[in-house]
Amino acid sequence: MIEVQQIAKRFTQGRGRRARTVLAVDGVDFVAADGCITGLLGPNGAGKTTTLRIAAALLPADGGRVRVDGIDVATRPAAALARMGVLSDARGLYPRLTARENILYYGRLHGMSDAAAQARAELLAGMLEMAPLLDRRTEGFSQGERMKTALARALVHDPPNIVLDEPTNGLDVLATRSLREALRRLRDEQGKCIVFSTHIMQEVERLSDHVVVVSHGRTVAAGTVAELSARTGESDFEETFVKLAFTVDERSHGTDGAAP
Amino acid sequence: MITGVWTVFRKELVDALRDRRTLLVVLLSSVAIGPLVLVLISLLVSGIEKRAEAREVVVHGIEHAPSLRNFIERQTYTLRSAPVDFERQVVDSRLGEAVLVIPAGFEAERARGETPVVEVFSSTANPRSQGSAGRVLRLLQGYNQEQATLQLAVRGVSPAQLEAVKVEQRDLADPASRAAQLTAMVPFFVLMAMLYGALNAALDTTAGERERGSLEPLLMNPTSRLALVLGKWGAVASVAMLIAVLSAFSFLPGQWLLRNETLAAMFQYGWREALLFVGLLLPLAGALAALLMAIAIRCKTFKEAQANATVLLLVVSLLPLVAIFNQEGEAPWHRWVPALAQVALMGRVMKGEALSAAQVLPPLVVSVLIAVLGLVFVARTLRSAVLK
Repeated sequence: MIEVQQIAKRFTQGRGRRARTVLAVDGVDFVAADGCITGLLGPNGAGKTTTLRIAAALLPADGGRVRVDGIDVATRPAAALARMGVLSDARGLYPRLTARENILYYGRLHGMSDAAAQARAELLAGMLEMAPLLDRRTEGFSQGERMKTALARALVHDPPNIVLDEPTNGLDVLATRSLREALRRLRDEQGKCIVFSTHIMQEVERLSDHVVVVSHGRTVAAGTVAELSARTGESDFEETFVKLAFTVDERSHGTDGAAP
Repeated sequence: MITGVWTVFRKELVDALRDRRTLLVVLLSSVAIGPLVLVLISLLVSGIEKRAEAREVVVHGIEHAPSLRNFIERQTYTLRSAPVDFERQVVDSRLGEAVLVIPAGFEAERARGETPVVEVFSSTANPRSQGSAGRVLRLLQGYNQEQATLQLAVRGVSPAQLEAVKVEQRDLADPASRAAQLTAMVPFFVLMAMLYGALNAALDTTAGERERGSLEPLLMNPTSRLALVLGKWGAVASVAMLIAVLSAFSFLPGQWLLRNETLAAMFQYGWREALLFVGLLLPLAGALAALLMAIAIRCKTFKEAQANATVLLLVVSLLPLVAIFNQEGEAPWHRWVPALAQVALMGRVMKGEALSAAQVLPPLVVSVLIAVLGLVFVARTLRSAVLK
């Protein structure tokens, strides 16, 4: 379970007199339950990536806190990371290593034995349908192959909590489908707590049990797709999202979110 | 912590060693070039020696001076007549010898008791002719002395009157230190090979990792940042040392190829020297690896890091020159300057001198200090580097 409580994050841009403080996140708040896929939906620049980076202990929050299975990320980052598998926005692989070596490396960094990491790599390869890729060097992998390898790498230590930042970015329709299928299986068969961020409504509609709409750095609404649609009185989820995430002003001007 | 360091170290080392193309270029450009230059120098020295052994004097108008011819031939020199355009040839360095020119009335002037003027043509821009000019001048001095001695003997004066003092020149340089002049470039080559060996690995584990976008996921592992940095540094320093070892030992077979016996005899480079080189360079490899990583971690791309690292490469390659340009010789502060100190110490090794603790400790301390500061900087920068 991941609990994000009223987190805030400021960034300073520029130096000296030109310095400008930008409030990237100011009051994102949600709970992602076990055995449930939580979708973090928001326009570009809403603060989704910053929120997930704070959850993954990469960034210290200026306010609020994040707990993973009851462990405070800020005070015990290593313990929290051990219970989390994170597929971040940056998902670079080592091109001179094979997919298997990429996965095993992370397994060892998580303190797994070689045998355990090997067994996990085989298991994940089966689940993500990437067995033929395992012993190829990742140089020249397609986007979908890269994503699968990066996901297997993030899940090598069998974490109960999975955090994915825009996982379908750059994937074609088949790769997206197979990823969705894998995430559903992780939820249904193993009861994982899965949080993913996206700006694509269809993604949320198809996959999420619980939706958290983030806009201008704060949580503006949360619930199931049906609940949110009912709240706004829209039958189309896209309309629901636009109503929830943007102000009346923005809707008429067609602008993006504010913070980077 | 130790498991983490070991895991990162193993992975980075495998990664660096799989970069075959880069390693091959480093091996060819840095490791092979030293022995190659050595062999070329030996060919050059052989050429100079061959000319010295040839005992040949190039002369124009020797037919005007039978007595001089007689003297020169008695010194077991052979005479060769100069080409017509010898002046041009000396200027163009096509003629490697000085040319002795004898005027037409040589013997007649001598007979009248006058002093004929002979000329020796050489060019300071043509070092080979300069060396030969020295030999010709010594021959002419010998001729002068013999003629004077004969004149005095006829008049019943002791030839000893001619010499107020007797001069004997003694060269204090032993063969090893004489060779050190020629082989001073060996430590420099080994140092540069090591630096270039470290360069790619250091940039790849820092700026390369940022550019690929693999640093962010790496930091989301529970391994501590210090463990990550130590593992990476260990791998970079190991690659640097591997190249240094290869380079230092490449001079062993290199010297078997020496085409010159004197140089081969003077070039004392064996297992002892190679091992001492490696020992002296080990701490510097650590320092340079940390320094390169500290420079590169601030850069977003490999290319940017390469441009920034050029400054360090330039400084390290220029530092050893301080000792060459400094007229006062080795100053105590040289010991505290990395690269300069190591090259000076390796020079001493090549001269066959023993190293004292007072000489070895300062560069060791400086290297350790640089390595520690560099690593702390990298560890502290790692997280902010991801986010920029």
